[in-house]
Amino acid sequence: MLAVRDGDLDALGELFERHHGQLFGYLVKFTGHRASAEDITQTVFQRILKYRHTYRDTGSFSAWMYHLARRCSADYFRKTASAPVATDPLHLVEHADESPHAGQHEVSRDDHALLKTALAQLDQADREVLLLSRFRELPFVEVARLLECSVGAAKVRAHRALRQLRDIYFRLQENPLS
Amino acid sequence: MNEPRVRELFIEHHHGALPPAEAAELRAFLAAHPALQREFDEFASTLDALDAMPIPPPSSRLRAQVLAAIDAEKRATRRNFPAVSEVMPPRSIVAPRRLPWIWLVRITTACALLAVGYFVGTRKPAETVVASDATLAAGERVSQRELADLRRQVEAMNRLVSDSLLPQPLRPTNERLKTVLASASVENPNDRIINELIGSLALDPSANVRLTALEALYPHADLEVVRAGVLSSLPREQSPLVQVAMIDFLTAARDRAAAPALDRISRSDTMDRNVRAAAMRALNQL
Repeated sequence: MLAVRDGDLDALGELFERHHGQLFGYLVKFTGHRASAEDITQTVFQRILKYRHTYRDTGSFSAWMYHLARRCSADYFRKTASAPVATDPLHLVEHADESPHAGQHEVSRDDHALLKTALAQLDQADREVLLLSRFRELPFVEVARLLECSVGAAKVRAHRALRQLRDIYFRLQENPLS
Repeated sequence: MNEPRVRELFIEHHHGALPPAEAAELRAFLAAHPALQREFDEFASTLDALDAMPIPPPSSRLRAQVLAAIDAEKRATRRNFPAVSEVMPPRSIVAPRRLPWIWLVRITTACALLAVGYFVGTRKPAETVVASDATLAAGERVSQRELADLRRQVEAMNRLVSDSLLPQPLRPTNERLKTVLASASVENPNDRIINELIGSLALDPSANVRLTALEALYPHADLEVVRAGVLSSLPREQSPLVQVAMIDFLTAARDRAAAPALDRISRSDTMDRNVRAAAMRALNQL
């Protein structure tokens, strides 16, 4: 990123190739919406390009990238709170239907779908801290800096979020339609 | 080490991010506390499931757009920096050249040029007029030639665009997709391109091409012809994915004319349930 800041814009292409998959994965889980995750990923890299001069060599590039992603996600949630969201075709199978059939029950038992539902039911802040804590390159020191809290508080919040996720997940496994 | 501290370390321990000594201590503590070990196992299974959640790959559009933004920035950087340094040299370089008698030199030069011009003009008037007529005629011929060249180029471009946009079922899908993507990247598409995009949406055999054409039409959703085209394509559409995308389009465009069609879809038993659900949502939003 230092090279990008100093004018080597080709290096940003390499950074994009290296990091965009993981960032996109995080955002898919965080927003629960593939198209929005793609939009936010694009915005993050556009902002990296735009604000490259402000990059300081005080933390990892990942931390800075997730800091920008956090801002962009906040913008996204603010906008979507009042605007209708376009249907993501990949999520069609999860739409509620007033006339459920056997296939629907089958889908509901799918573990990934259950976990996704459980994740969506978590509070936004809890979802964020839990997902951020899953990145190997983001130690809790960086997560705490991102969330502007102490390391201990970040760990406690992550643990609390994990506990809630587990409770919701297990409840859904027992009763998928709850 | 106590229970709250151990719970705090669950995530890092599962991640393998604890220092070896602390990890060993935690393992020993868990071994001595079976209830806590069960709790950790439950958390571990949840975290494993979270990590194993399948993530669809981002579309190729993401890469294309980010790389295009980087290229645009590179071009802008290359264009701007030399220009700024050439057009606006630092004041410290220019200032010493401003000599006090520079104005006197300029006025003298202007008067001399005026005198030479007057002298030449009065000595050879007829030749000048003839020469200027010939120059004008030659200039006009050059302009007409350039105009004809330009007209030919525009016509050739029109033919190229129209040929590439004409529905050609025998062309491979990826080529048709590229054509639609190329039309989508045109900043101010003319009516012909818009019509061909609507044609692709209505008639192309590939759902991917139809979806891409629909996406390309989004910036022009304010046009009546675009909304009417999407609306008339909706009943013919067979793919639920494209049907839902069309319904989203009409909803985003706030096209109230779509309400009767959406109502029919929401009541139809033969329609896919997701399409019916999308139609119902759209009706509520309209």
